[in-house]
Amino acid sequence: MALLVVEDLKVEFASRNAPLRAVDGVSLSVSAGEVVGIVGESGSGKSVTALALMGLIEEPGQVSAARMSLDGRDLLTMRPRQRRQLLGRDIAMIFQDPVSSLNPCFTVAYQLIETLRIHEGGRTSALRARALQLLRDVEIPDPQRRLDAYPHQLSGGMCQRVMVAMAIACRPRLLIADEPTTALDVTIQAQMLALLLKLQRERGMALMLITHDLGVVAEVAQRVLVMYAGQVVETAGVDELFERPRHPYTEALLSALPEHNIGRRRLHSMSGVVPGAYDRPAGCLLAPRCGYVQPRCHTRPPALSGAVGAQARCYYPLNTPDAAPGAP
Amino acid sequence: MSEVVLQARDLAKHYAVSSGFLRPKGLARALDGVSLSLHQGRTLAVVGESGCGKSTLARQLTMIETPTGGSLRIDGIEVGQADAAQRKLLRQRVQMVFQNPYASLNPRQQIGRALEEPLAINTGLDARERAQRARSMLARVGLRDEHYARYPHMFSGGQRQRVAIARALMLQPRLLVLDEPVSALDVSIQAQVLNLLMDLQDETRVAYAFISHNLAVVELIADDVLVMYLGKVVERAPKRAVFATPRHPYTRALLASTPRIDARARQARQVLSGELPSPLAPPPGCAFHQRCPHAIDRCRVDAPVLRDLGGAQWVACHRVDELG
Repeated sequence: MALLVVEDLKVEFASRNAPLRAVDGVSLSVSAGEVVGIVGESGSGKSVTALALMGLIEEPGQVSAARMSLDGRDLLTMRPRQRRQLLGRDIAMIFQDPVSSLNPCFTVAYQLIETLRIHEGGRTSALRARALQLLRDVEIPDPQRRLDAYPHQLSGGMCQRVMVAMAIACRPRLLIADEPTTALDVTIQAQMLALLLKLQRERGMALMLITHDLGVVAEVAQRVLVMYAGQVVETAGVDELFERPRHPYTEALLSALPEHNIGRRRLHSMSGVVPGAYDRPAGCLLAPRCGYVQPRCHTRPPALSGAVGAQARCYYPLNTPDAAPGAP
Repeated sequence: MSEVVLQARDLAKHYAVSSGFLRPKGLARALDGVSLSLHQGRTLAVVGESGCGKSTLARQLTMIETPTGGSLRIDGIEVGQADAAQRKLLRQRVQMVFQNPYASLNPRQQIGRALEEPLAINTGLDARERAQRARSMLARVGLRDEHYARYPHMFSGGQRQRVAIARALMLQPRLLVLDEPVSALDVSIQAQVLNLLMDLQDETRVAYAFISHNLAVVELIADDVLVMYLGKVVERAPKRAVFATPRHPYTRALLASTPRIDARARQARQVLSGELPSPLAPPPGCAFHQRCPHAIDRCRVDAPVLRDLGGAQWVACHRVDELG
């Protein structure tokens, strides 16, 4: 049974003219111990999806969903108090910018102990010992000394390790990592990804990795969701997705990567930009930019279709046995 | 080989840094003896992690700062000895594009005015001619004529970067220093901007100093690559050599740390331990020895110098011959 089930999640931000639908009917499920990657460009709604799961969307944002449950418990009908107990304990999240996620006025120990005290309670001395162990778990060198350090005394990579320590403090079932390595250097990024995977394996924790970096997803995730303009446009196993993309958007993203264009003098690039709140097409959201577009694509939006586990939101999916690429 | 536009020899920039009240000032060697040359119509990529000195290098090349040591020649003129009039002329020949295009454009200035400003300052063209040049530049970077009267907030990130590139090209520079020009952009927009940069180079033969941490982008756009670590060059070579036969352990670690899409291209990952040491207290010997898996006693005391390995590949490592 799936650990996290979300059906038809919508997040709207009201505005005077047209409401902005940042997330538009996203359904996803994450099994216990699974690593799911969510990729998309800016404005695709990937971070807003995560924030909605964490209950962090503030007014004027409106969240609605047909279903949102963790471990069989319904997150939608739960009282706010109950939900707050769950968040940070059973679902935890780390963010892109580790330095601004930590409070600059308090030491690492204070912030770690605060998390432990809220969710589990206990004597400060015992909690301090646990905080020390957490720093060891995230492989911070010289943890004893780092306990009493302030965030500004640590490097970006070190701050992100502290954030991970805080997130795993209460042994969450699901860790949401929103661009956890984007602000880090490439050698530190490799360290951080290795650490997240190690913790995920050791603790049997599910990991939802949100990123714009297809390389990171290819290396870490088992299953991938590709988002575009608030919708999931394709979902598939990681090898399947990178070898046989079904959705034209996925294909275009992959062919725009520099590493797929080595030796050429020009990259394949998709013209145009992601539609905003005011220029949302009536049909398929990709239709104005798609290279395979047909008349039907402009009139009615396609639904996610295909076998379970390998779906694409396209009338004419690529790389499927029953349809030649691009043929109507 | 095409004409040399800029030549730097042993360029150094040391900053005096306060380490607290009544304490002696520390010396941060942000840039420590870097030599390079930039050629017309070619791209030199400068690669390294934060703190390696690549942005400091950009500030020296663009004459925003004065280096504390070494020599810098632009178009054959020694910058340190140039008089004010010559320096003004040299500044027109070297232009810069920054990482964040939104922060580098004036939010209250129309795009057309922003493009005309360098002409108004540096040339005697009248207003009509300036506007004409600005409009033709808009077309060359793939923007439309109606964008002329718009403000920066009305553009997307990719379009703003096009504006920043257009502004840098207004004075027909010989060299463009690009500091992480596509890092803030999404993959599909990044491809558009990289294509634009390559097209413009073909048209104008401008030289690029392309500063980036993204090796995939570098592999595409560069002709030569300079790998920096803690203010020093550790490897300098033609692109093909750097990616096919990297020789310095740090270059190898950088390549191995880059996430790869193609499962076959993924190497057995060797994660580099530790972080970049502080430039205020660099370790003795080779700056990389604390993180290097191959370090020996000599690396801890004796700093290696760049050595020619043949094929224009230069590497600063004591053990380069043994490691192969």
